Amino acid sequence: MSPSHRPRHTEADDPHWMEWLTGLVSAALIATLIGYVGWNALTEQMEPPKFAIEATGMERMTGGYRITFDIENRANSTAAAVVVRGELLRGEESVETVDVTFDYVPGESQSSGAILFTTDPGSAQLTLRAIGYTDP
Amino acid sequence: MWEFAARGRDLVQRRRARTAFLAGMGRGLAGALLFALPMLMTMEMWQLGFHIDREKLLLLLVINLPLLLILSHHIGFEETFGWREDLRDAIVAYGIGIAASGLILALFGVLKMEMPMSELLGKIAVQAVPASIGAMLGRSQLTRDEDEECENPELRKRPATYFGELFLMAVGALFLSLNVAPTEEMILLSYKMTAWHALTAIALSIALMHGFVYAVSFEGGHELSPETPWWHALIRFTLPGYVIALSISLFCLWIFEQVDGTALTPLVFAVIVLAFPAAIGAAAARLIL
Repeated sequence: MSPSHRPRHTEADDPHWMEWLTGLVSAALIATLIGYVGWNALTEQMEPPKFAIEATGMERMTGGYRITFDIENRANSTAAAVVVRGELLRGEESVETVDVTFDYVPGESQSSGAILFTTDPGSAQLTLRAIGYTDP
Repeated sequence: MWEFAARGRDLVQRRRARTAFLAGMGRGLAGALLFALPMLMTMEMWQLGFHIDREKLLLLLVINLPLLLILSHHIGFEETFGWREDLRDAIVAYGIGIAASGLILALFGVLKMEMPMSELLGKIAVQAVPASIGAMLGRSQLTRDEDEECENPELRKRPATYFGELFLMAVGALFLSLNVAPTEEMILLSYKMTAWHALTAIALSIALMHGFVYAVSFEGGHELSPETPWWHALIRFTLPGYVIALSISLFCLWIFEQVDGTALTPLVFAVIVLAFPAAIGAAAARLIL
């Protein structure tokens, strides 16, 4: 440690103009931040998560097929433990059902994931939907 | 006879130099452990070792070098006379950081021989950055002033320049925010908080930063001469300090891939959450370093 009795440091009385400039720029940045969050606080109505899921690709892999997809949360509240179910249907009959869980899908944000099928999704109709979530 | 005495003196000097060197290494190691152990024992940091973007990792490793260099220049563990010595100290601290990270990770069984090289290197590299900062701080802060006669405590305390002070705040902010930035809790907290919570967190961060340094009478604290209004220091030091804390937080979250694909509002909240410990760290650095 430095000497056990450090003198208290007195700030200079006539600081360089750079100090004031830095200080004022910082104050402006912080004011912007507070303004942004404050505006959020005043205007924002929390709405329950709304998901939009879109398949982005399919590829063959050893032992099955991979469907990649994006999940977007269009509401402003975050959902945790979001379970997305991919289902392959032939007519009315369900051929294969696979679930995948996202730890978080933040509000107004997008995450991506993949579902692995053993059946060829090309031979059936694919549905992807979120079947549940928890509040974080 | 003369020759004998001279040889004896020479031997004593060399032995003293060796002791000083080993003591320095020991302090560096102690600092590295003190600083980096929480991160060495964090699961997310091990995972980062294999999934962090290699570009980000490279950036982190490269940025660390000038950081250590400036750190050595400002609070180096010994009076340095030029950038060459600072560079030497920075590299030694980096080396201690890498060695300490490797040893501790191996001790905990996080590193295994059969892992691919890229995973081994990634895991050590991510940890080496905080550990090397710890080593540098340890070599300076754990030094007792009386035990190395080559050191002159008067000389060692450089007069703090304004930007030097801001740099120390950045180091302090880095110190506390690195510890928690990789954890899932940062993100989770930002999801739990409403905008009102965030506003309160901003106000509290700034108030605590200012209070720690100016109001609470800690040793090493700063004060204003009676005729200077209190808000001078708020604008010149505390607000820039908070902006530094916010920037360091954003940088840490980005490096640790906590905010990929996140919209602006959750990102801002996460930065505010992490800036709270960073602000405390920045204020503490002004008192301690």
